[in-house]
Amino acid sequence: MTYQIEIEGVDKHYGAYHALRDVDVRIPTGQFVALVGPSGCGKSTLLRTIAGLETISEGRIRIAGRDVSSVPPRERDIAMVFQSYALYPHMTVAGNLMYSLRLKGMSRAQARARAEEIAAITGLSDLMHRYPRELSGGQRQRVAMGRAIVRSPAAFLFDEPLSNLDAALRVHMRSEIRKLHNRIGATSVYVTHDQIEAMTMADHVVVMRAGRIEQQGAPLELYDRPVNRFVAGFIGSPAMNFVEGLVTEDGRHVRLALPGEPALAFTGRRPPGEVVVVGLRPEHLTPVGGDQAGGNRLELPVALVERTGSASYVVSDTEPSILIAATERLAGLRDGMFAVAIDPACVHLFHSDTGLALDRMG
Amino acid sequence: MLRDDRFARAGLLAIALVLVGLYLFPLYWMYVTALKTGTEISAWPPRFWPETPDVAVVEVWERLRMGTFLWNSLIIALGTTAVVVLLGTGCGYALARVRGLWMDVALFLILMMQVLPSSLMITPIFVAFSQFGLLEYPRLSVILAQVAKLLPFYVVLVRATFLQVPRELEEAALVDGNSRLGAFLKINVPLARNGILVAAVLIMLQALGEYVYSRSLIQERAFQPATVGLQSFMGPNTSDWQGVMTYAAIYVTPILLFFVLLQRQIVSGLTSGALK
Repeated sequence: MTYQIEIEGVDKHYGAYHALRDVDVRIPTGQFVALVGPSGCGKSTLLRTIAGLETISEGRIRIAGRDVSSVPPRERDIAMVFQSYALYPHMTVAGNLMYSLRLKGMSRAQARARAEEIAAITGLSDLMHRYPRELSGGQRQRVAMGRAIVRSPAAFLFDEPLSNLDAALRVHMRSEIRKLHNRIGATSVYVTHDQIEAMTMADHVVVMRAGRIEQQGAPLELYDRPVNRFVAGFIGSPAMNFVEGLVTEDGRHVRLALPGEPALAFTGRRPPGEVVVVGLRPEHLTPVGGDQAGGNRLELPVALVERTGSASYVVSDTEPSILIAATERLAGLRDGMFAVAIDPACVHLFHSDTGLALDRMG
Repeated sequence: MLRDDRFARAGLLAIALVLVGLYLFPLYWMYVTALKTGTEISAWPPRFWPETPDVAVVEVWERLRMGTFLWNSLIIALGTTAVVVLLGTGCGYALARVRGLWMDVALFLILMMQVLPSSLMITPIFVAFSQFGLLEYPRLSVILAQVAKLLPFYVVLVRATFLQVPRELEEAALVDGNSRLGAFLKINVPLARNGILVAAVLIMLQALGEYVYSRSLIQERAFQPATVGLQSFMGPNTSDWQGVMTYAAIYVTPILLFFVLLQRQIVSGLTSGALK
């Protein structure tokens, strides 16, 4: 496998502040990678170091096999789409699209032809003579995309490009960008704080926190096998429930710190008496009839039921409260007790201090 | 309710008009005196409008050699503005972009330099310039002294303009393949154009009105600007008030017109930074 972008042991300090800590990411050619994490986690800083807008304190960055660690942005052959789009306000759409080509030394006629070609792809042909201030949010977004594509760069960098759009347009542009990627096939790095965007768009997701990579891998791998409590809580919507628990004497069940101390089976085995944090995804808790016996059951008092039509959310009247996401309407449910079951394979266990996912011996 | 409002507004307007009148009275008196003859000027009670307006523009222009004086004023003002813009634009940009303790110190020192009055600075400047032999080029020495005096003001104004230009635009230009200098000249300067223009105009107006440096550094009549020239006609025994006032009117009117015409740009440039 050839790698288009290789980041090795990158550290970044701002004075005393340690913004990136020993970051390693390798991006195969043509992949779409999402950097995701809460604000201040270093994802934007990492993107900017790839672009060359920030210097790195330690480590190495290679783009298309060339070490660019100390190369200025203009020699890195990358294109970037900014959160604010950063369209040049004193140039028309055509001027914005042609700017980088002209800087490369392309003739005016050639640059214009190429810009027209890109405008046709991005649906900007009728807007070429307009100024950015005369465009709507979605149109500006498309100009920003066009300006990146026009150069056929070694890699695309996106810095939260959809966060200024309204919800409907955001979903639309999400699929537009992904379709565009499928067509062009250029290596892309996409920064977002929205894990849904990351999960839906990317081939490879990198979850960051406090300048460190917490976990990286395919979206569903992160969902199915989070390495720690942070990733488990960050990936997936609605977020995973966490409850304290105690491993029972047989080492195959965990007793939850909820009223009635219900015990749930999990796959594998842990030392008896171990204190753990149990993670349960809301969508893995499936409602079962109250009189049905057996199964990995949990009975909870109901505090609140929310119905959106496609899904129903039940919030339990416990401390901590447990959220259940069901695809059924749960028509009669109002209060009282509510029974759910869970597959033992879907019960996640984390270390109570370190938050690391616990290995389960067979 | 509505009536009270209207009365209050009319009252405020009246107060404003009185204050503006008070403020502009010397200007009015300059123009009126310029149109009066010698006997009318000394008449008591003073007349607020001349009986027989007497325009002496051409006569004063020639008798008081205003051509030379105004030419010198223009050379000094344009020279000062050119050097200030050339040196100050990059400086304002750097102060807008780089953040840190040292930049704060630099900014503080720049602001401090504005505080020193020219009448205090002129003695050391005179001594230094005479030692360097700069007094051989009197107009150049005034330009240099004025640049030192006005540069901080310009830098602070232009810095505010550059602060309004989003940093991402410059970064986009860098990624698009421009050098730092290229991005500065092609992206930052065009977007800060209005602010730079306004600051340059203000510098030029200041340089036109400068007196202390020119008075001290230029000995020779032929190189003196209009401000110094005007002063030399005034003294305890001045009798040619009409000539002096006509001179002043000729000098001030173009500046006033310029300011009135650019008034909107100047105000918006000073308040908003002139980007949006």
